[in-house]
This record gives sequence, C-alpha cells and structure tokens, in this order.
Amino acid sequence: MSRSALAPLAVVAPILAACVVLVAGRRAPRLVIDVLATATAAGVAATTGFLAASTLGGRAVTWSGGWSPVGGRSVGVVLVADPLGAGLACLAGLLTAVAMLYSWRYLASLQAHYHTLVLLFLAGLVGFALTGDLFNMFVFFELMGAAAYALTALRIEEPDSVQGGLTFAVINSLGAYLSLMGVGLIYARTGELGLARIGRALGGQRADALVIVAFVLVVTGFLVKAAVAPMHFWLADAHAVAPAPICVLMSGVMVELGVYAVARVYTTAFAGVLPGGVLRTALLVPGLLTVTVGSGMCLIQRHIKRLLAYSTIAHTGLFVVAFAVLTPGSVAGAALYVLGHAGIKGALFLVTGLLLDRFGSVDERDLFGRGSRRDPGGWFFLAGGVALAGAPPLGPGIGKAVAEDAAGRAGYPWLVAAFVVGSAVTGGAVLRAGLRVFLGLGHPPQPPASETQGSGEQPETPSLVRAVPRTMLAAIVLLLLAGALPGVVPPLWVAAGRAARMFLDRTGYAGQTLDAAPPTPVAPLPGLGWTTTGVVLGLVSVTLAVAVALLGVYRPRRAGWRGPVRSPAPVELLHRLHSGHVGDYVAWLFLGVAVVGALIAVPLLAGR
Amino acid sequence: MSRTVRLVMFGVAAAVLAPLFGLAIAGAPPFGTASHPYRDLAVAAALRNATANVVSSINFDQRGLDTLVEETILLASVVGATIVLRASTGDVRRELAGDDRALAAVTLVSVAVLPGTLLIGLDVVVHGHLTPGGGFQGGVVLATGLHLLYLASRYETLERLRPLHWYRWSEGLSTAAFGGIGVGGLATGAGFLANVLPHGSFADLLSGGTVPLLNIAVGVAVAGGVVVLLAQFLDQALRIASERDGKG
Repeated sequence: MSRSALAPLAVVAPILAACVVLVAGRRAPRLVIDVLATATAAGVAATTGFLAASTLGGRAVTWSGGWSPVGGRSVGVVLVADPLGAGLACLAGLLTAVAMLYSWRYLASLQAHYHTLVLLFLAGLVGFALTGDLFNMFVFFELMGAAAYALTALRIEEPDSVQGGLTFAVINSLGAYLSLMGVGLIYARTGELGLARIGRALGGQRADALVIVAFVLVVTGFLVKAAVAPMHFWLADAHAVAPAPICVLMSGVMVELGVYAVARVYTTAFAGVLPGGVLRTALLVPGLLTVTVGSGMCLIQRHIKRLLAYSTIAHTGLFVVAFAVLTPGSVAGAALYVLGHAGIKGALFLVTGLLLDRFGSVDERDLFGRGSRRDPGGWFFLAGGVALAGAPPLGPGIGKAVAEDAAGRAGYPWLVAAFVVGSAVTGGAVLRAGLRVFLGLGHPPQPPASETQGSGEQPETPSLVRAVPRTMLAAIVLLLLAGALPGVVPPLWVAAGRAARMFLDRTGYAGQTLDAAPPTPVAPLPGLGWTTTGVVLGLVSVTLAVAVALLGVYRPRRAGWRGPVRSPAPVELLHRLHSGHVGDYVAWLFLGVAVVGALIAVPLLAGR
Repeated sequence: MSRTVRLVMFGVAAAVLAPLFGLAIAGAPPFGTASHPYRDLAVAAALRNATANVVSSINFDQRGLDTLVEETILLASVVGATIVLRASTGDVRRELAGDDRALAAVTLVSVAVLPGTLLIGLDVVVHGHLTPGGGFQGGVVLATGLHLLYLASRYETLERLRPLHWYRWSEGLSTAAFGGIGVGGLATGAGFLANVLPHGSFADLLSGGTVPLLNIAVGVAVAGGVVVLLAQFLDQALRIASERDGKG
C-alpha cells in the first residue's frame, strides 16, 4: 500500500473503531473496550508519526475518491500530509492514547459512549490537521465540536457542567457559521474549495473587500477555537467542567489546531493576496491581548482547573504571536512550544483530576495543605509548573527560546518580553497552587469575597479514590516525559526547522498538490536550538515564576486581610468581564471580528 | 454586563462589520453569468460515472469524504445527545396521564398518510442517485413518518414501536458501512472512497456505482438518528420529571 493511503486510514480507523465500540459497548467487558480504544489511538499516533517523519522529504498527497487533478484541477477533496500537519495529528493520537489509559477506571456508567465520543473526537482532530480543502476543514471542525461539546457536558448531574458545555457549543458554533459564510464568499469569487486552488486563483490579485472579509470570516471560527481574546471566554468555562482527560485533549491539541488552521489557510490560500505585514499586525494585537488576559486571569484563579485553562489561553496567545512573526524560525518555535506545552499541561490537568477524585474539590484554598509530601502527584505538579515557566532544557523552554530568537532576528526583540512574562506568570501561578496544596506553605486560607470556587465538585471516578491506580500515574508520567523530551532531542529541532520551511512554502504546496510536481528539497534551518540567550531567558522566566509563586504564597497580610477580602479594582473588573453570560461572549466575539477585520481592511482599503 | 452595554458593544462591532460585508457582497460575481468553473467539472464527472442526480454525485462520489464526516457528525450528535439527555440521579420516570388520546380526525388523517409517507421516504432514499433527494432527505421523511404514530395514537404506542436500543446498530453499522466502502476503494488501489463498483447505464435504478449504496447507508443513519434525537427530547418533555421540579 502506498504512503498516500495512510492519511485517509488515520481518519477512518478511529471512526470504524468508534462504531465497533458503540455496537459492542453494551455486552463487551469494559477491559476490551478500554484496550480497543487505547490501541486505536496508539495506532493512529504511529501511522501519523510515520507520515510526519517520511514527509520531511516531500508531502503525501491523497485525492479522496481517486479524483486526481487533470490540468491542475479536480472536483475532489484532497488530504495533504506535511510534517507539521501530520505531527499535530500524531500529537492528537498520543494524547488520546494517554487520556484513554488514564480513563481505564472511569465514568463507568456510560456504557462505552465515552469511548465512542473520544474516538470520534480523535477522527475530527486528525482530519482537521491533514486536510487540504477549505470546506473539508469546516466539516472536520464541526466533528471536533460535536464530540467535544458532549464530552464537556458529560457529567450532567451538575448544572455547571451542562452550562459549560452549552456555552462552548453556542460560541464555537457561532464561530463555525461565520467561517462557513467566509467559505461561501471565497467560493463565489474563485469557484474553488481546495486551499491550493484558492491560493492559485487569488495569487497576485488585488486584495479587495470580498477577499478581506472572506479571510476574516473564515479565520473567525479558528480564532474562536484557539481561544484568542476577546473570543476566549468559552474555554475556561468548558475546561472547568470537562473531565480531566478531555481537558488534556482540548488544551493540548484542539486549541492549538485553531492556531494551526489560521496559519494553514493563510499560508496556502491567502498569502499571495494579503501582505504578511498586514496579517502580522492583525494577529499580534489579539495575540498579545490574549497573553495579557490569559496570564492575568490565571494569576487570580483559585479553581485549579480554571487556573490551568487560563494558562492555556496565555500560551495560545504566545503561539499566535510566534506564528505572526512569519519566519521559518518562529513557526518552528511555535511547533516545538506546542509539543512541550501539550505534555506538561496535560500532566497538570491529570494531577488536578486526581485531586478531584481524592478530595472532591479542585479549590486551591479548600485543598490547602491536604496533599501529602509523599504523594508523587504533588511533585509532578510542581515540576510541571517549572517546566511551564520555560525551564531549560525542557520542551516548553526550547519552543520559547526558538520563538524568542526568531522574533529578535525578525526585528521584533520587544516580543521577547511577552514570552518571558507570559510563561513566568502562568508557571508561577501553577507553582503557587502546588506549593499551597501539596506542601501547605504560606498562610492558611481566609474566607473569600466572591470568586469562582472549585469545591463541592463531583469526582469523576465512581467514588472518591484512596490509592491512585497505576494506569492513572502511568498516564501522568508519560505526559511529563513527552513534554520534557522536545527540549533534549536535537533531531526534533532539525525536523521542526524543515517542517516550518515546508509549511511556509506556498508554491511547493500547490505544485505537489495540484501538479504532482516532485518535492522541492528543504534545507535545515541553521542555528536552531539552545543558545546562551535562550538559556538565560529561560532561567529568568523560572526565577520570575518562583518569585510570583512565593509572593502569592507569602503575600504580606494587609489591613483587612481578615474578613472578606476585597480584590483590587482591575482584578474585580477582569472577574466581572468573565461573567459566564453567553450573550456577553457573543458581543465580545463580534467585537473581536470587527477589530481583526479593521486591522486588515484599513491598511489595504484606505487610500485606494 | 448589562443589556445596554452588551447591545452597545454589539452595535459598535456591527457598525464596523456591516459596511465591510456590504462591500464584500458587492464584489461577488453577479447572478446568472455563464462562468461556473466547478459546475463545468462536476457535471462532466457525474455523467462520466453515470449518476443522473449531479448533487448526489458531488455528495457521495466527488466529495464523498465531506459526507462521510457529516455522517460521523450525526453519529457524534446522536451519541452526545443520548448521554447528555440521559436520566440522571434525581430524575424519575413518570406515568403519562391517561387522557392523552388524540382527536378522531387527527388519528384518521395520520393513519391515512402514514403508509404513504413511509413509502415516499424509502423512494427518496433509493432513488437518491437519480432524482432530487437521497439518504439525508429520505431519512428525515422516514423518521417524521414514524412520528405520525404519536399524533395518531398515544406516546406509549410510539415507544413500543421504536426500540431505542437499536440505534447502536443503525448508527454504528451505517457509519461503519460508509467507512468500509471507503476502505474498500483503498483496497482495490483506486483510492479512499473511490467509486469502484460498475457504473451501470445512465438513469437506471442500478447505476452510479457506490452512490446508491452510500445513500442507503446515510438514509439508515439519518432515519435512526432523527428518531433517537426526537425520542430524547420527547422523553425529556413527557416522561422525565426532576425531583427538583417539585411535581414529579
């Protein structure tokens, strides 16, 4: 079987496995279902991992239905596997396998429906990463959504859970509809749906209102999925209630795929018509806002899952900023950062899930000092905080270092501040929570004024667990290792550099997709890896993170510390903006679309 | 945020977006031109594979991958709705009041149109590759036809005639059939979801290769899916009462 069969197999295998699990779910023993689901996810990871490695020498193009193009045109749908897309699909497979392993003792009452949905979610993630067709992207986007909404709202005994799922569904569906309108507009202009075809049709044209609006609408859905401010509100509400293994998938790869989709659509279809400088501004503004809001909100959370969710928002902001620099180095940095972040953040979510299963709470004050020093989970959590802050030589650190280096080379050295502060604040917040919960450092908690608490939540296992099952611990260790590894495996850096070069090569993409042209060889990026500056900046971030954590733990007692604590005005305001009201989120979403639209339209249309 | 603030914010966004959108629409090609690049290719491709209904050819042959994923979305939605709307702790099933008999006139009309509706549904599914319609449309007709029973009789009758646990089979097997036909194409070397069956002669019942088979798979999935989705909502409305409601 040729290499081009692998991409559709990676999509259809989890769908078929989901059907088997659904049909067999009522009768088959739980262990069989667990093994089948875990093995399918691992198989998808192996297949797409092989694709990622083998496509370094040239993309794997698959025309579904065998509709190979004639004269550069086809009526069919194309899957185009390149190292970056296949790499993300592989990440989705790995995270799903680990999430499944963690779930072996889990949500027993759902009769394999849980497994069915997770496998369908995986099919959506993989297809979205591999497709080379704009409308097909939208369809996979909807598949990811349909599965993820239900998985978020799984624990229907709690009203919060259903509310979180509903908010997630409303906001993401709205984004999807706007995307679909954009697809319609661009189809009206070009008569094409394939990314490469659209790229050829638009290349060298003048960017008029239709092209600009189509691009802005298409990427709106992806920006919503990426939780870019001010379209980020759904993410924290969804992560707060979703089961921990689902948070691993959403934070580790689904949100990142939103950023990937913006980048993919721009580089393949719109780069020939919308100048890079304009796009850079249009992404840097919301990207930096996302870092700011995410870090700020992360710092003031006491609900640990929300804290981690806002840290994801801050990091996604950093990924957007890294891509916005638009050089191979910055894209490589973003790719490595995503890998490292996925493992570390996943491990942090799973440790939090263990807290929930043991104490029925994820509230930092509620859990104060309740974790034991002998509990490996606590040390994993603290290690995760340090890694998240960008400590060398771990995964998030190398991504951060490479992205900072690329920003400096491209003439944006001031962006380094965003990377240092964003990673330090979020890492610091995690460390603070870990120090208080597991080591019991600092002052015992005081009664709160009005904040989202994390107590009184239902555990996800049938009852509170005493001893942690080995499968759960193994899942956490695997994720930590996966998050650390990218920092110490130089071949991965070389691969990321070449993957990034291929990703930005619009002509090569179109040639291989439409004309079956031989792949253009890509040279590795020189100088990609740990530099002295990178290590120093990493250490600065960690030091700052520790300072943030200690400041949070040993905050001096102010007057009025006893009794209800009043938060400072900006904190109150931030809290109030995140109201949980779907109508508010919709208004913010449209404001976000308007800002991005204006940032692109004004420089291109004014003065004509 | 108050309602006013929300509206003002949306108003500001709309004030920016509306003119931009207007300009974009103005830049779209006018109606009724002869230039249709995709149509020209798609109609030729449909004719080549002897599929009289070009829309079906696009949905199930030329862009079959989209439709496979759409069927999978339906599967995910059905499974998702089933678990999100499942009876939870604190819910009790309540007996229906005995006086929910329908009006005689409604019963008469429903019974009269029920067989015809089901037949039309089957017809629309089976002829999907020839005439307007197909698995999606026919499946919806079939599922709504079944609900005429609810109008004609009582909810219990409907409950007895729609064994809900079948959905695992209807949804699971139909989606697997779609995916399996796709893998079959791959196995013959023609490509994933390739139309590998004999195409037959144009406008015959047995023509279009895999298109009628995929239509039937989708018809089963949609009919089963709509029945299950409606059942979940009807159950929530008629059967399940929450202890928290007070009036269980």
